[in-house]
Amino acid sequence: MKPVYLAGRGLACALGLDLNDSLRALQQGNAVASTSSVPGALGGQFPYFAIPFSQRDWDARARDLVQRVAAEAGAQRTRTGTLFIATSSFDIGAVGEGAAQMDYRAFSDKIVAWLEWSGPVYVINTACTSSLNALIAAHALLGAGEECDALVLGVELDNRLTLGGFAALQLLSHSTSKPFGLHRDGLVLGEAVAALRLSTREAAPWKIAGGANVVDGNQPTGASVPAVVNMYQRALSASGLTAAAVDLVKVQASGSPGNDAVEAQGLRAAFDRVPPLVSLKASMGHTMGASGAAEIALLSACLEQAVWPACAGEVDAELGVELAAAAPESVRHVIATILGFGGSHAAAVLERT
Amino acid sequence: MKTFVIKGRCLASPPPSDWREQLARMLGAKPRRIGVWAELVMYGALRCMADAGEAKLPQDAQIWLSSRRGTYAATAVVLEQLQDGLPMPLSFLQTQPSQVLALLAARMEWSGNACFVADSELPALLRLAAAQAGQGGALIGWVDEMDGGSTNWLRLQPAAIAENGFVPASPEEVFSPDAVRLQLAATELRVQRARQASLGEKWAE
Repeated sequence: MKPVYLAGRGLACALGLDLNDSLRALQQGNAVASTSSVPGALGGQFPYFAIPFSQRDWDARARDLVQRVAAEAGAQRTRTGTLFIATSSFDIGAVGEGAAQMDYRAFSDKIVAWLEWSGPVYVINTACTSSLNALIAAHALLGAGEECDALVLGVELDNRLTLGGFAALQLLSHSTSKPFGLHRDGLVLGEAVAALRLSTREAAPWKIAGGANVVDGNQPTGASVPAVVNMYQRALSASGLTAAAVDLVKVQASGSPGNDAVEAQGLRAAFDRVPPLVSLKASMGHTMGASGAAEIALLSACLEQAVWPACAGEVDAELGVELAAAAPESVRHVIATILGFGGSHAAAVLERT
Repeated sequence: MKTFVIKGRCLASPPPSDWREQLARMLGAKPRRIGVWAELVMYGALRCMADAGEAKLPQDAQIWLSSRRGTYAATAVVLEQLQDGLPMPLSFLQTQPSQVLALLAARMEWSGNACFVADSELPALLRLAAAQAGQGGALIGWVDEMDGGSTNWLRLQPAAIAENGFVPASPEEVFSPDAVRLQLAATELRVQRARQASLGEKWAE
């Protein structure tokens, strides 16, 4: 396998419109969630991490954000490479405005035009794990020498379908995001556009060592302990590492009462000594299909700039795991995980070069 | 360049008129509240596996699923429900294409890498699958609900690279029963037909 480097990254999320803004906001504390409302008896007001960027309509806002984030990642150097668009909601926000039809090809054509992209394009939707699976697929393609450059673009923007669906499933918190928290009561959703530019010919501070996606049919709407363990084992094996070599795990820890407990149990089963853990959900919300790319972009920048996300509230001691209050002294290998709908458990391993 | 043995196939464009009854027989019961698109996915995938003579996928196999319109019908229903209030929870789940991957995984007592790729043609999807495929190979499908429905699948297993007897093929020709091996060379699909394969094996002897 050829080494695959994280050659560029870009991010727009509730913390800011680029990585520098986001790091500055993180240093000052977590982003303040706005609220979003959904109709009906089970509806109401829910906290929501919106990107602080207004535009006249969904398409114009998406275009500007995609172009900004891709430019921040250096996408202009990669336009003949492979583009992986990752999303769980496509442009359903524009459909809701009557400005688009439900048409996958029209959606990808729109983004291709915005980026003036001329290489092959894939649109991956595995719900919350979409951009992590896009990263794993891109890594395999580049590692096999099939391609030299790729851009993984996670796009998850405001729409009624996602918020209404999660509210209907009673998965949303009415208060705040509390990863592994004692009083956790659900997810706080958020928006993000994130880009990870991968290259086999441009060395960079991080490389992608491997990854794994494990779909488990036993819990179609959540995580399962055997699948979490299987995911870590496969990701480590694909990266040629042992569990003892892991210095930091970026967990899902979305604040879901059930899923956080399953994830914690899986961590304890997969690691003899659970490595330091970090969660970014309280900082930027759960950004669904964009979350894998968004959290890797932010975390890798945090580790380089010695910025650390604040832990939100009291951790649930019964889970047997805790979030690191500060960055570990030395971090060479990081596992970034996202657990999602469709029984999907995904993990990517990053190695500091 | 990777070469695959085509172990099984399902070409159902459109599926037979009794496909739902066939699916119920394969599952042992009528599927409940998973949506027509997901039912078509299940029908084609299980038919393909039966054609390959397999009931379970090997743990290192992968599932790749693509569609031009995927769960649009289910999504339209939920957008309608959102006009008045919250959608029905199961209706919302039907809007997520990846939900059916979990159903397939459960049915095949399998857990592994499965991915939905929107509107991807055969060569493109094969390129992704080939980059990650282990010895267990892949189950690859294209499923749509519109125009009477279609559910087309291939069960592929990696094979030793064979240089002889491959000819360029259209995506449709890949599904032909006499296509026994499949190669992706750059973006060109090539197949080896049964007669050519047996000749090649004789030469090898």
